[in-house]
Amino acid sequence: MSDRSIESVIDELLREGRLSRRGFVGRLGAGAFAVSGAAGLLSACGGVQGTGQAGPTATTASHPAQKLTEIDFSNWPLYIDKDSLPEFEREFDVTVNYVDDINDNNEFFGKVREQLQRDQSIDRDIVVLTDFMAARWVTSGYLEPIDKANVPNVEANLIATLRDPAWDPGRNFSAPWQAGMDGLGYNKAETGRELTSFNDIFLPEFKGRVSFLGEWRDSVGLTLQGMGVNTEDATLDDTMAAVEKIDEANASGQIRRFTGNDYTGDLTNGNLAIAVAYSGDVIQLKADNPDLEFLIPEEGGLIWADNMLIPEKAEHPYGAEVLMNYVYEPEIAAQIAAYVNYVTPVEGAQAELEKTDPDLASNQLIFPDEETLAKLHPFPSLSAEEERQVEEAWQQVVGA
Amino acid sequence: MHLSLRRRRRLAPYLLLLPGIAWLVVFFAIPALLQAQLSLTTGTLETGFVFDWNFGVYAEAVSDNSEQLLRSFEYAAIATIAAFVISFPLAYFIAFRAGRWKNLLLLLIVLPFFTSYLVRTIAWKTILVDNGFVADLFRSLGLIAQDGRLDATTFAVIAGITYNFLPFMALPLYVSLEKIDRRLIEAATDLYASRFAAFRKITLPLALPGIFAGTLLTFIPAVGDFVNAQLLGTSNQYMIGNVIQSKFLVLRDYPEAAALSFLLMTVILLAVFLYARVLGTRTLTEAAV
Repeated sequence: MSDRSIESVIDELLREGRLSRRGFVGRLGAGAFAVSGAAGLLSACGGVQGTGQAGPTATTASHPAQKLTEIDFSNWPLYIDKDSLPEFEREFDVTVNYVDDINDNNEFFGKVREQLQRDQSIDRDIVVLTDFMAARWVTSGYLEPIDKANVPNVEANLIATLRDPAWDPGRNFSAPWQAGMDGLGYNKAETGRELTSFNDIFLPEFKGRVSFLGEWRDSVGLTLQGMGVNTEDATLDDTMAAVEKIDEANASGQIRRFTGNDYTGDLTNGNLAIAVAYSGDVIQLKADNPDLEFLIPEEGGLIWADNMLIPEKAEHPYGAEVLMNYVYEPEIAAQIAAYVNYVTPVEGAQAELEKTDPDLASNQLIFPDEETLAKLHPFPSLSAEEERQVEEAWQQVVGA
Repeated sequence: MHLSLRRRRRLAPYLLLLPGIAWLVVFFAIPALLQAQLSLTTGTLETGFVFDWNFGVYAEAVSDNSEQLLRSFEYAAIATIAAFVISFPLAYFIAFRAGRWKNLLLLLIVLPFFTSYLVRTIAWKTILVDNGFVADLFRSLGLIAQDGRLDATTFAVIAGITYNFLPFMALPLYVSLEKIDRRLIEAATDLYASRFAAFRKITLPLALPGIFAGTLLTFIPAVGDFVNAQLLGTSNQYMIGNVIQSKFLVLRDYPEAAALSFLLMTVILLAVFLYARVLGTRTLTEAAV
């Protein structure tokens, strides 16, 4: 192990686990999911029904207060601190069945699609999904509306920029859990200098030492910005050109691999100089390795949000709302933000964090100000058919 | 009374088979049939998939993914041969020479299974890291270029597969070697056979069932493996397992994914059949008795 102690190896493995927020574990678990996916297919004797169905029927709901018993909450791995939920359980005398079984938007959807399509309960009261997938659930009518009367904190404390997404005007079905940025994570010891541009990732000096994320929205979005096209305005042709650009870089050996969260290991051990990365990951890693930096490219970075949603036929919608309301208390939000290091959607969390951890509270990557927000763009938004085309082209690029 | 007892006796073996058959039917036969049916449908997830005997999907599946298909068989074959070359001396030593260390050595072969497959594969990433001693050693021996790497290469993927499936080769080999009656080898040497001749004429043929079982147990899962290519390779090393996974879960192209799975199963079955023919089923069954 040359100069690496066993401890550091174990530590790295653990960290891989801790940071398996997206993709990584998901891809690996895919084998198992493929089996469950197949089981889903089986029950659909005579072919598989389409998901293109009518939109949501109602946009409001009334969930009267009742005695809380339990709440089934599905989230991404290590996307919450370990204290918030036990405190919530004590305060409200309720059991929260918290499961971190969402590793990948597509995969999770693949797992529960069958029940949703049959209008059956998926036995969860809250699920956390990224914007594009949440949008799909809204249009397909897979969600229970949120009773606004039960979530006054969300009404009061949700930051202005996230209040009115195009896919859920007025937030009738969703409440952001955390938001985050896509940019470049790089190892200063390996690059030998500060980076400013996204296009540095294509420089010959870093050949074979850069990675891209395996989800096209992240990688193609940033490449579009690097090409001078804002993701909001990107057409199918622009998007395909960006896919093409990444394809060429991959064919020439510039790109070492397409990753989920596993770029974190390669970035810390020096295999990678630059990675297309998530802000929260790099901030967490930087705590152990000061050489690591997260860059919002001068051409623009990306911002996304993960949303709490109540699936249709949920058993405890009132409990779900009480919990949503709870995590929108600034104090609790600050506690979670201090652990996960992503962008918190809760107004007032920054003020709370200033009391306990002023360094984090002034971190632009956790509490971006106007100037930083101006540099961030959403994922490219294309029509469903265009997205399918891009996805197909993209899967050719990433080799599958 | 007497009659019904006899009838029950005759039925007993079938009743004993029942759980196994039920398991096979419910979890293999029916899914396989449904998968065959699914592979012949057309459509998208949004519109639904309609069964229309679309055989074209098979041609498409092969032409789209011939590269990954061939690569899977190539990698699996190399890994199987490598596993055999490593395992045979190992199994031979344990069976014939290890004495009281036998059980300990066997335990050591199985020991890696006590940790998760994923952790073991990720550990290889750490071993093969760019500035680690293995890569340095390869560089100083001139096996890779000065700016070359081991991680994220074909070598890493095949090495990972070999390592992960090695016990599946070593254990059957050990079992068949262990069973060999030593007196046969003594008899051969008594009849003036050289040690090599005795090995070739006695040990090797009697070890054939183990070689056969070990090869299959290694080769079949290796062809369908996607974890090693995912973790230790790049997209240029992706195997057919990676393609099927992405078609099922990301692209949701169920028909082509089903067609690929079916094709893979058929090709493997054919390969196993051919292999059995070449090796000779007669020798196998005779040796096993």
